[in-house]
Amino acid sequence: MRTPDYIEQAWANLWKKKLRTFLTTCGVVIGIGALVTMFAFGQGVQRNIKKQFEELELFNYITASVSTRRHPGQAEFDPDGVPMDHRPADANERAEPLDAQALREIMRIPGVEAAFPEMKFPAQVQLGDDEQFTLVQVLSADAANSGLIALRAGEPYATDEPNEVIISDMMLRRLDLREPESAIGKQLDIRTLVLDLSLGNLMRIAFLRGGQSLPISNRTYSFTIVGVAERMGMSGPLPIRSDVMIPPGPAEGMKKLELTSIWDFFQPSDKPGTYSTVSVKVASPSDIPAVEQKLHERGLRTFALIDQMDQMQTAFIIMDVFLLAVGMIGITVASLGIVNTMVMSILERYREIGIMKAVGATNGDVQRIFFYESGMIGLLGGVFGLLLARVVSFVINQVINGVASGQGVPFIHYFDFSWWLCLAAILFSILVSLLAGVYPTLRAARVDPVVALRHD
Amino acid sequence: MSMDANGFIQTHDLTKTYSTGSVEVVALREVSLSVGQGCFVGVTGTSGSGKSTLMNLLGGLDTPTSGSISVEGRLISELSNAELALFRRNTVGMIFQSFNLVPSYSALENVTLPLLFAGVAKSRRRRQAAELLESVGLGARSSHRPSELSGGEQQRVAIARALVNRPRILLADEPTGNLDSKTSRQIVQLLADLRAAQGLTIVMISHEEAMLREFADEIVYLQDGAVRSLETLRPTP
Ligand SMILES: Nc1ncnc2c1ncn2[C@@H]1O[C@H](COP(=O)(O)OP(=O)(O)OP(=O)(O)O)[C@@H](O)[C@H]1O
Ligand SMILES: [Mg+2]
Repeated sequence: MRTPDYIEQAWANLWKKKLRTFLTTCGVVIGIGALVTMFAFGQGVQRNIKKQFEELELFNYITASVSTRRHPGQAEFDPDGVPMDHRPADANERAEPLDAQALREIMRIPGVEAAFPEMKFPAQVQLGDDEQFTLVQVLSADAANSGLIALRAGEPYATDEPNEVIISDMMLRRLDLREPESAIGKQLDIRTLVLDLSLGNLMRIAFLRGGQSLPISNRTYSFTIVGVAERMGMSGPLPIRSDVMIPPGPAEGMKKLELTSIWDFFQPSDKPGTYSTVSVKVASPSDIPAVEQKLHERGLRTFALIDQMDQMQTAFIIMDVFLLAVGMIGITVASLGIVNTMVMSILERYREIGIMKAVGATNGDVQRIFFYESGMIGLLGGVFGLLLARVVSFVINQVINGVASGQGVPFIHYFDFSWWLCLAAILFSILVSLLAGVYPTLRAARVDPVVALRHD
Repeated sequence: MSMDANGFIQTHDLTKTYSTGSVEVVALREVSLSVGQGCFVGVTGTSGSGKSTLMNLLGGLDTPTSGSISVEGRLISELSNAELALFRRNTVGMIFQSFNLVPSYSALENVTLPLLFAGVAKSRRRRQAAELLESVGLGARSSHRPSELSGGEQQRVAIARALVNRPRILLADEPTGNLDSKTSRQIVQLLADLRAAQGLTIVMISHEEAMLREFADEIVYLQDGAVRSLETLRPTP
């Protein structure tokens, strides 16, 4: 028998039982529709997460830090539980101090856009009557001019020396200023907190009740706002995460509580003018391995978020498997529907099978005729199931976005239908239908023609 | 029908037993027959004497419990399922008392069915089937369903279907059992004409001995699954 004949036969037979074919196919449509909708949702979530990471350039950063001396065999102290990967074994011997010179050298590594110490200190910033508490980031002029931060108004400070400051869009609003341009040239006071552990101060705390109860005092320094950066603060590019940035020159002269990085609480760097941790921004995530290699050669250890992608992928796979497992319920029910329909169809056409065999059909011919039928149910179910999934997900997407837009959330596509998902859905539907057809078609193939011809 | 060992169709000690539960029914008991090429053989006997069983074995629809069948020297009783299907497709055509047409197909589609399995292209299938319907006098009824045709017309469609693959043997199991005597004669006359025109070998089962005497060359009498007697009416052509 020829392939077009099988298709024609299958279609003609399905068409003869329109209602039954329709109902059986509906089962497959719903099953495939649910499965595809769930999977497309999973894909959409994953795409949106990845996109967000990429937009925030989270994958473009390497944190490099000086390996600290420790006794052999002693477990590393790891305050955040963040793994520090790629520690060179002999780093201790080769470690050079991380100072301004080292930073300039790191910035010359191909692929590196900026390198800056992760150095922050808590301070009150004051503009007119408005006062805000924040963490001030010390950022070199090199880094500020590297394109690391996009400015909405003004220019980054040209050297590391002037008392100039860049504030974020967020800080602008917190300080009750509307237009970025209006902030340029204004004076911003930075009041630092100083840990005062002098004997006199301690005595005051110990013996004078009321009044000051912490060994902390203030110093105020004046800066001029030269730039307003967009999208800074917590949503800014990691790991600056700061709303106020000043050059290292004035920072050095300020009395302040210094937090160069969280690790420095535990591993203080003792030499002045050196840092224990620097952030390195690369042009593209693909530069990371090469840059990490170079940093290792300098005796630094590195951490890049992109190295954690494996864990994220695993989480995504678990999510996919879960969604698929739930989606499979519908498909399982639908395939039982196909088995039922095919068994019915074969019982109805029992005598016809006998006739086909009497005029020369082989067992294989008979089996394939019915296989094409169940396969066609699968094809129809797959195509229309896909359409259903698209319609349903479109509606859900519109509804969610309609609700969310009232809360100022931008329009998001929650579902992702890639071409391979569409293709796989149809192929999977056909495959499931063929599997459902295995038992019925085998039964059809084994019909005894003598019995079938005597049958009424 | 003769007992000589070089017939076109040859059976040797052909036996078929059916076992339903604990009961064993011997439907056919050591039947040895020989049919010459181009012969018209009639088979008769009481109900349950094994006529249909013999025909199903000759047509390759069933396999014997013991004994052998050969056609043109080929051992049919030894063929695999797939080979038997090809034997049914190419070598024999069968017609039945109940016509066995597919009710949802038109007359033409019923006739094209064997060509479908033979892998003939659609346009050629339809042309060949139309020719065959024409030759059995039903050219004008090709689009009718079996339910829209009389018994005689349905049997003509069945004959056209049996012959569309140009087989050399036609097996007919009481083809006139559901027809009146006038129509019966017309059908058997048609078979006789086809034999004369195409050199077909025909084995026809019938209860109507008078009609067999008129058309057949030889008559086989079956009783309780065994050959009771053979009668030669005219020399084999
Ligand atoms: N599938 C079967 N299972 C059990 N017994 C069977 C089966 N088929 C036929 N028989 C028995 O075999 C015997 C011969 O049956 P067969 O159909 O060949 O008779 P027949 O001569 O064609 O009869 P009729 O003239 O009524 O058609 C009968 O006794 C019948 O009951
Ligand atoms: Mg019978």
